Amino acid sequence: MIYIETGSTDVYYNFGLEYYFTAEKKLPEPVFLFWRTTPTLMIGKYQNTLEEINKKYVDAHNIHIVRRLSGGGTIYTDPGGWQFSFITQGDSDSIQFQQYLTPVLDALQGMGIPAEFNGRNDLTVEGKKFSGNAQYKLAGATVHHGSLLFDTNIEQMVASTTVDEYKILSKSIKSVHDRVTNLTEHLEAPMTAEEFKQRMVTAILNGGSVYQVTEADDRRIRQLAAEHFDNWDKKFGASPKFSMERQGRFAGGRFRVNLNVQQGKIADIAFSGDFFSAIDMDLVRDRLIGCPYRKDAVAEVLRRYAGADGVYGITLDEMVDTIVE
Amino acid sequence: MQKQITMPQLRDEMKSGVFCAWLKEEGQPYKKGEPIFEIETDKVVNQITASEDGVLLRKLVEEGDEVTVNAPVADVEAR
Repeated sequence: MIYIETGSTDVYYNFGLEYYFTAEKKLPEPVFLFWRTTPTLMIGKYQNTLEEINKKYVDAHNIHIVRRLSGGGTIYTDPGGWQFSFITQGDSDSIQFQQYLTPVLDALQGMGIPAEFNGRNDLTVEGKKFSGNAQYKLAGATVHHGSLLFDTNIEQMVASTTVDEYKILSKSIKSVHDRVTNLTEHLEAPMTAEEFKQRMVTAILNGGSVYQVTEADDRRIRQLAAEHFDNWDKKFGASPKFSMERQGRFAGGRFRVNLNVQQGKIADIAFSGDFFSAIDMDLVRDRLIGCPYRKDAVAEVLRRYAGADGVYGITLDEMVDTIVE
Repeated sequence: MQKQITMPQLRDEMKSGVFCAWLKEEGQPYKKGEPIFEIETDKVVNQITASEDGVLLRKLVEEGDEVTVNAPVADVEAR
């Protein structure tokens, strides 16, 4: 086993590093990473981002959004929690969780935490989940990664994943909300997050070696982070197609929007309500089809084709906010 | 020879998987070992590769469908 210190709390960099040592720089032994992030929501590969996050809250609290390459639901991570990754080269079609979770469980039990494997993908203590795990296959390698809630802000976790009650329909993978707990509540004696990390890494590495990221590695990792993780297309555009109904009540009346989004672009959109429009809403509709489902892009189309006072008693910003969060 | 590709079983407990993405289009040929589609089960995303050379003739499921193990997902022409 080879341990690599990522040296970063930037989720995009850390996923870029994981990708690099999975698909490009293949080391002769399994690789192990133990890392953490600034506040982040990690979306499963086949989830619809807008169905999983409270966008207003996420924007207001500067929470990063990232799409994992693995399956499953959305998780919230912050500097109070840890992530671990195991990268194993070589093809295997069958799914194995136990081989990756056993060393993690052994390390936790070594600290006196009565942690258990729930038989599927999660680790629990006293019936509450503190670790979710997922996997993906890439370039002939298997990546198993998991989260550990150590001292995570559970309140922020709940707030950032409590979604507005807009009606969204899609065939995306849905998140499951489990009862969770932080490991700090189950320690025999208090321990800092850094001490916890040291003990986990020492126990899991079990005398293995350490690889230092070189400058050349670092350059490539930054490119991979930008290309595969830190961009709008991956965070939002890569969501499965979905349809959504949103509406607002304004001085000028009720404004309702029904839309279909595919590959991050508006595939179809319809307006209804009891508002009075001085402009050709069919033209606006036609111009919005194909437009990226993103606030700045929608606002640009409306500015051009709906004008500042095109709809009586409903401002341009109100229309934009109704169409896209 | 015309054949069907089915939803594979990746672990004993697996009853079905979510068919997530087509990686080939109808009419498109592929080589043995090339990924044809991607599925998700138990939080694992897995690319399913071709066991022999062939052509994808007809998609039988849609992206996002939950498909039971061994149910057909595509008609193919094996070469």
